[in-house]
Amino acid sequence: MRNVLVTGGSRGIGIAIARRLAASGDYNVVAVARRESRELAAAIRQAQRRLHFRACDLAATDAIPVFAKSVRDEFGTIYGLVNNAGIGTDGLLATMHNSEIEALIRLNVLAPIILTKYVARHMMADGLGRIVNISSIVASTGYSGLSVYAASKAAVAGFTRSLAREVGRVGITVNAIAPGFIDTELTRSLNDEGRRRITGRSALRRLPEADDVASMVEYLLGEGGRNITGTVVTVDAGNTA
Amino acid sequence: MSVKSKIFSAMKQIAEEQKVTLPPLEDDLPLNETGFDSLAFAILVARLEDELGIDPFTVAEDAAFPSTLGEFVRAYENVPA
Ligand SMILES: NC(=O)c1ccc[n+]([C@@H]2O[C@H](COP(=O)([O-])OP(=O)(O)OC[C@H]3O[C@@H](n4cnc5c(N)ncnc54)[C@H](OP(=O)(O)O)[C@@H]3O)[C@@H](O)[C@H]2O)c1
Repeated sequence: MRNVLVTGGSRGIGIAIARRLAASGDYNVVAVARRESRELAAAIRQAQRRLHFRACDLAATDAIPVFAKSVRDEFGTIYGLVNNAGIGTDGLLATMHNSEIEALIRLNVLAPIILTKYVARHMMADGLGRIVNISSIVASTGYSGLSVYAASKAAVAGFTRSLAREVGRVGITVNAIAPGFIDTELTRSLNDEGRRRITGRSALRRLPEADDVASMVEYLLGEGGRNITGTVVTVDAGNTA
Repeated sequence: MSVKSKIFSAMKQIAEEQKVTLPPLEDDLPLNETGFDSLAFAILVARLEDELGIDPFTVAEDAAFPSTLGEFVRAYENVPA
């Protein structure tokens, strides 16, 4: 059974990914977050020992090397890494507190880069692996109030493309997924009117769901993804089409 | 097996996998003349972390990577295990 690490796996998009991969029967999933949510505890009970929770505050980047090692020591070789944990703090740049800016960059950019470093090194030594980073359509479109978040998600896309070049030779693929607006805790500040506007602007006249992103992750980790690397796949119901 | 011989045997195995020919392994051999590229060194550090349980370059305060094989080996020998 191939081990896959899913960060931010306790709710929203992350838990959809963790659930789907565990249910496929092909993967042993380790969901990472600061706290185990009730939803995740329930999913773990249903997943017949293919889904586990391990706590880690990824914003404490100094602790990441030890955490990566502990997961490897406990579960063995890691085949897949899904960098999904993220925060979506919004606010006008002019009035956003510097500490909020820093926290956003720390969790959305620094944490996945450092975690990837410690996981990918072993993938290199093993000669295979799949890395999927969750970016956002906001990385390449514009949205007032999300400039810092957008910068963090664009960083993820740039990281993805160059790392794919770096580790391709040893059989590791690196891709990003750019979801459109999805209803989760991260986006709860958007009101119904905003939601209607986004839906109306989307080719399919609906919003993508967390499980649509999960399907794409499953695809990229599976046989179908073996020749896909260095790319950003958009899952947005046609919002940016 | 000593730390040094573990490092050398890991290097030989990677050299074989990456199809590079290693020169004779001596203390004053500059790392950039080993035939290893940065990717091969990354693999080496990862394998040694598995085998020895340490990564001296994460523990280290400064970001400098050693420049000769002897310095590289000493980095591993000097870490309290
Ligand atoms: N929702 C959208 O519309 C949308 C669109 C595009 C991209 N995305 C991206 O998709 C990803 C997931 O978003 P989501 O909407 O599912 O968000 P969410 O529902 O808020 O979930 C975020 C997850 O990250 C974890 N997390 C937060 N801070 C953490 C920390 N310091 N250390 C470890 N884990 C932490 C949370 O668990 P704990 O709080 O327990 O730690 C939770 O599991 C993010 O990268 C987001 O940028 C979302």
